[in-house]
Amino acid sequence: MTSLAKPLARPHAEEHEDPREHLMHDPLPRGKMNEMVMEAMHETNWKFWVVTGILAVLVATCLGYAWYYLIDKGLGVAGVNMPVFWGIFLVDVVFWIGISHAGTFISAILRVLKVESRRPFTRAAELMTTFGLVQAAISVFMHMGRVWLSYWMAPIPNERMIWPDFHSPLMWDFMAISTYLLCSTMYLFLPLIPDMAMARDRSTGWRKTLYKILGLGFRGTEGEWKNLTTAMNLFAFAIIPVMFSVHTIVSWDFAMASRPGWSSTVFGPYFVIGALHSGMAAVAIVLFLLRSTMKHYKYFIRPEHFDTIGMLMLLVSMAWAYFYFNDYIVPWYGGDVWDKLFQEWAEKGPLWYLWYTMLFCNIVVPWSILWNKKWRRTPWLLASAGILINVGMWLERYIIIPEGLTINRMPFTWRLYIPGVEIALTVGMFALFLLLYMLASRVIPLIPVWEVQEGQEAHLLRKIGKAEIPTLSELE
Amino acid sequence: MSETITFLAMFEDFEPASLGVEKLHDLGLSDDDMNVISGIPIKGAILGRPSAITYVSRIAMVGALLGMAFGLFLIYGIPYLYPLLVGGQPIFPIPQGIIITFEMTMLGLMGFAFIGMFVDSGFPSYTPKEYTPEISDGKIAILFSCPESDQKKFVDALTKAGAESVVPAEARHL
Repeated sequence: MTSLAKPLARPHAEEHEDPREHLMHDPLPRGKMNEMVMEAMHETNWKFWVVTGILAVLVATCLGYAWYYLIDKGLGVAGVNMPVFWGIFLVDVVFWIGISHAGTFISAILRVLKVESRRPFTRAAELMTTFGLVQAAISVFMHMGRVWLSYWMAPIPNERMIWPDFHSPLMWDFMAISTYLLCSTMYLFLPLIPDMAMARDRSTGWRKTLYKILGLGFRGTEGEWKNLTTAMNLFAFAIIPVMFSVHTIVSWDFAMASRPGWSSTVFGPYFVIGALHSGMAAVAIVLFLLRSTMKHYKYFIRPEHFDTIGMLMLLVSMAWAYFYFNDYIVPWYGGDVWDKLFQEWAEKGPLWYLWYTMLFCNIVVPWSILWNKKWRRTPWLLASAGILINVGMWLERYIIIPEGLTINRMPFTWRLYIPGVEIALTVGMFALFLLLYMLASRVIPLIPVWEVQEGQEAHLLRKIGKAEIPTLSELE
Repeated sequence: MSETITFLAMFEDFEPASLGVEKLHDLGLSDDDMNVISGIPIKGAILGRPSAITYVSRIAMVGALLGMAFGLFLIYGIPYLYPLLVGGQPIFPIPQGIIITFEMTMLGLMGFAFIGMFVDSGFPSYTPKEYTPEISDGKIAILFSCPESDQKKFVDALTKAGAESVVPAEARHL
């Protein structure tokens, strides 16, 4: 007997995925979720304090003492000298500003595009923005040397009649980073208000006082919600162009100079996409750490979230490769002698291995791991890819800045950059970032519970034929 | 004129809460006599309520204009007061002007949106208020005032609509 129909394909496991594996279709009562988030904040074990202690020591020595040493002895103890006036200090500035882009990208762009899987991890990403910008600002101040004179950059009258030159890219940078830091901190705080109110209702002692102050007296009336959501929507739209402007202006710090390897019209978007590359990778690392170390977070942060981040990482790495190739091929083809020298220096010079490591980490690693759904949904693997991508992105900035400054149009000034005290300072800054994040995880509800509940209320499973199909309605 | 009393009616879900609002309307209460308090933002139409008015956007627009004015001052006012010739560039350039003006406009917009949210919501406010922590556990509360003489009628109507409790609202420290 002939068969009238035969299977078009073998059954695939993914086709039978239970929608209840998704956070939005696996709701818990709000009270229970509140309890879980509060418990995760309150419960700390000895391992937490050991790690905190180690980080505090690193911050005190590598950042505190090393910065004091730098101020006491002068910038000579750093490796920066003619012709490499911007060393690791500026590599760190660009790197940390890049990390800070993740928060805005996740929270603002995904909010505007109504990507529902963003809900549980927006705050974790926003916090990275604020702490990342703090690191970037610290790095700028360290590089100033005489940091106590930093107020000279402010437009205030003084007896020497010295005013900042707002025509300079460095002043644009100062204005853009300040704007971004202020706005992203406000944007972090706005959705935090209802969660602070929730924490206020469930706390005692000093925590009660803290949450009462930060909760501002929020109850959740119609007017309060309307004002809050209107402000959040305004921020979500307005902070996106600011985010783009910040890293574009950072790129102009370099591109406005007529130097080989720097003077490129593609630098703006290339830097922005590079920032997103490292930022998205950092989000993957943070989510993995939160899921592994915080009680109950396995309920909130699920493989589906790593899948979303992984897809974005893959997309961004492709875009990065596209822009990098644009930045590479034009000078390579153009044949300008100085551009050629710079490219050869990066590829065949004494630090050639950095260039190959950068390409491996930024392209080979994401492209070989993130195409596979199963691998994307494996938290440790995604976090490992995230670490390698961040290594690659840090090296990319190293190649652009100190290596770029080594090759100039006056060969008699060429000198290999050997970093000094800035290595310790960099270690100290990484430790400070982690320390701030760990301490914040005990005080700030890192899961925006009200946003999760809002999402869960809006999601329904609708039976169509034999299948239950996720549907979404708008409550707000 | 009889005295009024304020009640807090607690509901588990949207359906009974919207029915509760309807009952209050039927009993002659206007939208101004009641307020809905919830743990998540709820579109007014879901509960049969008008959308709340907000001035945050307008305040933000004022901020954007002020920010723009400040940006223009920085980029054109300062060189006017203290001209600084660098690299043969004009004293009053337009391209650089766009960058600083843009940043300050956005700072003004977002800064005033933030402040506007505080001002319009009356934050911070630490005075006693009618509230119960069950609201942040996901319950929906309707806060309403009714004539003291009719209170039984209102309580019965809301209980029938599915209210879990209808109790006189007490202002308490949050």
